[in-house]
Amino acid sequence: MSTLELNLHPILPDAEEQMLRETVYAITSSYGQAYTRSLREEDRPPTELWDELAGKGYMGVNIPEEYGGGGLGMLALSAVGEELAAAGCPLLLIVVSPAIAGSILTKHGTEEQKERWLRGIGDGTTKLAFGITEPDAGTNSHNLSTSLKPSEDGGYLLTGQKTYISGVEDADAVLVVARGRNDDGSLGLPSLVIVDVDAPGFTRQEIPMAVKGADKQWTLFFENVEVEEERLIGGFNGGLGPIFDGLNPERIMGAAISTGVGRRALDQGAQYAREREVWGKPIATHQGVAHPLAESKIELELARLMTRKAASLYDAGAKGAGEASNMAKYAAAEAGISCVDNAIQAHGGNGFALEYGLTDMYWGVRVARTAPVSREMVLNYVAEHSLGLPKSY
Amino acid sequence: MKICVLVKEVPDAAVEKRMDSNSMRLDRSGEKNLNPFDTHAIEAAMQIKEGGAVDVEEVVAVTMGPESAVRALHKAVSLGADRSVHLTDDALADSDVSATGYALAQVLKSESPDLVLLGQQSDDGECYTIGAVVADHLEMPSLTQVIKIDTAADKLTCERQAEYGYDTVEVTLPAVISVGDAINEPRYPSLKAIMGAKKKQLDSKGTGDVEIDASKVGADGSRTRVLAINPPPAKQAGEIIEDEDTNETVEKIVAWLDERKLIA
Ligand SMILES: Cc1cc2nc3c(=O)[nH]c(=O)nc-3n(C[C@H](O)[C@H](O)[C@H](O)COP(=O)(O)OP(=O)(O)OC[C@H]3O[C@@H](n4cnc5c(N)ncnc54)[C@H](O)[C@@H]3O)c2cc1C
Ligand SMILES: Cc1cc2nc3c(=O)[nH]c(=O)nc-3n(C[C@H](O)[C@H](O)[C@H](O)COP(=O)(O)OP(=O)(O)OC[C@H]3O[C@@H](n4cnc5c(N)ncnc54)[C@H](O)[C@@H]3O)c2cc1C
Repeated sequence: MSTLELNLHPILPDAEEQMLRETVYAITSSYGQAYTRSLREEDRPPTELWDELAGKGYMGVNIPEEYGGGGLGMLALSAVGEELAAAGCPLLLIVVSPAIAGSILTKHGTEEQKERWLRGIGDGTTKLAFGITEPDAGTNSHNLSTSLKPSEDGGYLLTGQKTYISGVEDADAVLVVARGRNDDGSLGLPSLVIVDVDAPGFTRQEIPMAVKGADKQWTLFFENVEVEEERLIGGFNGGLGPIFDGLNPERIMGAAISTGVGRRALDQGAQYAREREVWGKPIATHQGVAHPLAESKIELELARLMTRKAASLYDAGAKGAGEASNMAKYAAAEAGISCVDNAIQAHGGNGFALEYGLTDMYWGVRVARTAPVSREMVLNYVAEHSLGLPKSY
Repeated sequence: MKICVLVKEVPDAAVEKRMDSNSMRLDRSGEKNLNPFDTHAIEAAMQIKEGGAVDVEEVVAVTMGPESAVRALHKAVSLGADRSVHLTDDALADSDVSATGYALAQVLKSESPDLVLLGQQSDDGECYTIGAVVADHLEMPSLTQVIKIDTAADKLTCERQAEYGYDTVEVTLPAVISVGDAINEPRYPSLKAIMGAKKKQLDSKGTGDVEIDASKVGADGSRTRVLAINPPPAKQAGEIIEDEDTNETVEKIVAWLDERKLIA
């Protein structure tokens, strides 16, 4: 099918999407940024917020209706992600659980796996974290060394280490990327396994992070963790295709969250600039203050548009979804950083006081330049795939 | 029991309100939304329906407004109303309060509800009056500022927020009740309700369908004429007392009030 024949979503939200956005924003605002901060202080997950949104069907909007979701694709889930972030509660679990694990299970899960896992993701009662990054394999996933070895009783044994894995404290299980251990001891192709967080042999350690979001990051240790056949998505050594189908949703959500945070920071920056008087008139009357905010606004709207394009192409199963998702992630990370940075600048010293909340947002958007895929790797991708330049890694 | 809820489309709360100096009307061209006060009326209807004390056959959202007002109706049904009625006709444009109340009453007559609920005020016109006008035309008792409703078969016991304290009033049905925003915490719609909103019955009616006398509505049928509009006088800057030492602050406030003979 040529892209011209596709019936893609309009570039502006329709009435339903507007109501969805309004509702998610309103519910989340009743919690707000103070809630996110209190979670860290009280060392607990965002259960109330997640459950309230899930109870109304908003945490599985992208999952097919037959599995209890909303059947509205990544366009709707990215709207949920953006509104959550704009209302002060960016959640990384919405990236890994419904977007990555949900998309993979929808396309590659067996009927039993869909019943067991996808149904819960659809109604938000099951949460899956996603673990691919290893200490020696972040950008370069060819170096993955977590292994999955067939055991005598027909199952498998998982051994290895993952790092920077988000939201494990609030997840039921982790979707782990491992490589099959061949008979000769060498490592084969990727396999994708679902491992319960309390499986024997699976331990974890929290990584103290500057990012003060609702989700924590962990290093995970697997030592001969028993995995049954039915926990493999795509079968032994059959994980590559499924993994690829999780990457674009991950990028789209990364982009959506960055634009949501950017929106929040920019609104706050503009309001502050309208009200703060330093020379007997609002500082926004100085173009030195107004123009950077205006530039950020333009970057932000461009990034939102690209995120919409990426989600629409992904939902249509169209070619170009990969390119658009990478570009959206790139543009949104840069726009988000620019919005927060310029909002901080407009706030003067107040930009650094915890009271104004901008420092919380800063690390949140700054991460997006590195994760889930770094700025450099997006540029590598675009250079090679969009421009036909030589592969540079 | 059949409940009709009056709902209005108003400029979105985030849009700064502006008068159009040519038409001398509120500029309603920007983003619009369901009047937030009306979500309390819908919620009150839903609580009566779900409460079980009486059997509610249906909750019908009714609006008068231009084509765009359909969105307010979609939102109203996403919040629980079973169906909606849209009174829309070019002849109705520029109706004032009494013309609007008359036109809405004509729609309500065609529905014969046992109970009419509405918000205490619109977020744009803010006249607080439509309830009384509608009740007058329907020859039904009218209650305003109701913040609690207890339901029985043919009568309601209501608590009204009055200037000093609360009135408890019993009213027999049918009746028209405008609710205060303290009556409840409106629910948020579920995704399913949002996606199902367009599938619920929506009847569009013109003036002829509900026997509205065209000479009583619109600009010509309205008995008010706007002669001039003026911005409100600028308020004097207040005095801010910084709270450095709370005892001292209290003393300053008491002295300020005392100076103005506001405390005995
Ligand atoms: C807050 C947070 C949450 C995270 N959550 C998860 C999660 O839930 N699950 C998960 O699996 N991972 C997660 N990650 C990990 C994240 O995906 C990785 O950190 C990221 O992919 C980068 O990998 P790395 O840290 O190993 O960097 P490295 O691979 O060591 O790269 C270091 C630097 O070198 C650059 N670089 C490397 N190769 C090239 C090249 N060929 N050309 C140009 N530049 C190059 C990179 O762009 C980067 O700037 C998270 C990370 C953070 C910070
Ligand atoms: C000369 C003149 C011309 C006007 N022209 C227009 C015009 O063209 N367009 C316009 O929108 N307004 C117009 N107005 C304002 C209009 O008269 C009032 O908005 C309207 O009568 C309702 O009054 P209110 O909004 O103050 O309602 P209030 O009495 O404050 O509202 C109380 C409740 O009544 C219900 N309600 C109010 N209006 C409606 C409605 N239309 N449909 C259903 N329920 C409703 C709601 O439940 C609301 O919560 C005009 C006013 C004047 C004086």
